[in-house]
Amino acid sequence: MASQAPVVQTKDLTIRFGGNVAVNAVNLTVESFTLKAIIGPNGAGKTTLFNLLSGQYKPTSGSIMFKGREVTDLGAADRTRLGVGRSFQLTNIFPSLSVLENVRLALQSKARVGMVFWRNYRSYSELEDRAYELLRQVLMEKRWAVEAKTLTHGEQRKLEIAILLALDPELLLLDEPTAGMSLEEVPAILELIQQIKAARNRTIMLVEHKFDMIMTVSDSIAVLKEGRLICDDSPEAVACNSEVLEAYLGGGVKNG
Amino acid sequence: MESKTMQPTPVQMERENLRRVRFTRPALWVQLVLLACLIAGPLVVPSFRAMDVMTKVMIFAVVAASYDLILGYTGILSLAHVTFFGIGAYSMALVVFHSGQAAWYHIPVAMALAVGISGVLAVALAFFSLRVKAIFFTMMSLALAEFVFILGDQWHDLTMGEDGVSFSLPGIFSVNWSDGTFLGATLNGRLMTYYFILAASVLLFIGLVRFVRSPVGRVLKSVRDNEQRSTALGYKTFHYKVLSNVFGSVVASLAGVLFAMWLGYVNPTSVLGIPVMLNILLMVIIGGMGTLYGSIMGAAFIQVAEAWLPDLQKLTAWLLPHVEVAQRLAERWILYFGILFILVVIFFPKGLVGTARDVIARRKLRLAQRDHQPGL
Repeated sequence: MASQAPVVQTKDLTIRFGGNVAVNAVNLTVESFTLKAIIGPNGAGKTTLFNLLSGQYKPTSGSIMFKGREVTDLGAADRTRLGVGRSFQLTNIFPSLSVLENVRLALQSKARVGMVFWRNYRSYSELEDRAYELLRQVLMEKRWAVEAKTLTHGEQRKLEIAILLALDPELLLLDEPTAGMSLEEVPAILELIQQIKAARNRTIMLVEHKFDMIMTVSDSIAVLKEGRLICDDSPEAVACNSEVLEAYLGGGVKNG
Repeated sequence: MESKTMQPTPVQMERENLRRVRFTRPALWVQLVLLACLIAGPLVVPSFRAMDVMTKVMIFAVVAASYDLILGYTGILSLAHVTFFGIGAYSMALVVFHSGQAAWYHIPVAMALAVGISGVLAVALAFFSLRVKAIFFTMMSLALAEFVFILGDQWHDLTMGEDGVSFSLPGIFSVNWSDGTFLGATLNGRLMTYYFILAASVLLFIGLVRFVRSPVGRVLKSVRDNEQRSTALGYKTFHYKVLSNVFGSVVASLAGVLFAMWLGYVNPTSVLGIPVMLNILLMVIIGGMGTLYGSIMGAAFIQVAEAWLPDLQKLTAWLLPHVEVAQRLAERWILYFGILFILVVIFFPKGLVGTARDVIARRKLRLAQRDHQPGL
């Protein structure tokens, strides 16, 4: 039973900030090892939905199942341990630590030796070596020794993905991985996402604005508008959906 | 995959390099020289006053370093650190005092009491107030500090109130004990107590250094850098804050035991008072927050200044017996202490050790860049 359960299943998921319903009765299902893109105009609740899934916010009502297990009341740290990995829309790294240390800390958490206070952290050399290996995977190994804040924006996003992979999550929540990136940097990220997807051992949820990018990588696309899920279908079907086009163009016009 | 080649990665090379220079690092030699000075000090300079200052520097270096763990490494402003120090000091004094006759086992009993009481109290304080805003924790810690001070001052049956508690130490630590000479120095209880405190302080300091270099220390560093990120990595940051708070408090209480052993006397003002707390805070700031070793500099700075600045008055009277203005100026020694402090903060904004480390790091970077220039 449990193996058949979808990775993510939300039931009437709702969060209210004062009078504003940011996510409104969303029923969303994400199947194992697929890539689901979440699109919608600005303010549709995409990032809020991610915050609910990763445990940053507690929902006002409704529930979240992760691999058939109810996780609604678990905090962010517990969900990370269960296998939810999240990247943030605004780059979220440890700016004054080295690039290697950023990844090593993630591995240290995964290895569950974080509470050890009598051994030197450098004695866990396997964590350092594995961190370097992950940096190699995201093509960042040459920058391992510098402080993370000195990286370019694109490099920081790649570092973030390395951190995420270090946590070895079953579910990757990528919030606009190419936001604020220069055009030359986008293909590298896109390729990285394709690579992760091709390995078929992780489920990916992706918030993105670049429509053509979504069309190429997604297995399915969910469309949010004003907190409601208005459509959840294959890329081809979504592209032809009149309500989606209206929502997207309408949102686009509204936001200039 | 090609990654299985024998070529070591830069990370492995750096690790190997660090292991090779382990025993030749300059920092290690500075530490050994300092330790040698502390060991030889009382034998070379047989002055009680010098020994007194050295002992207080050692004890307060540990207290300040344990406070640095909480303030500098964890980013929590606690005003109850002196309370844990005082709990340790009173544990020592009261165990001996209330048993009548000093015995050997009183020292480990006092240490166990100090660790137990301060550990429980630190956990309670942390759980009660660390979850909420930082300022609330500071206020709660201040309330606790005041409460324990009043307890020490008023609970006469237990603590003898503001009169304080005098007690003697057992065996070779007793002031009455004396046994010939060694290398020209008289072997007496004072000297034995000095070496006991030296050994204990070094052990406690090493414990603190190990703590900040452990996986826990790295998590604390990451929490200061970006707490939300640490949580997203799966670290329960609250638990880490509690752990470092308790560890620092327990170390401070053990230093309190040593302090009571040295003085043979405790009273509320000297081990529980807020002025002592402020001194500890000053030591950390002067030495540099988040450096640990800065605490040694900070403790030395304050203890030396407090011990010898008053002598300025006598010195002036002796050098310039007829210049009244100079003597009047020298009387205000506490003012010069303030000026010294301001100068340190202006010229060493990150503390003595913190600023020195920055300068060294910048120089290394410059050298590295210069070395790479021809290749570019």
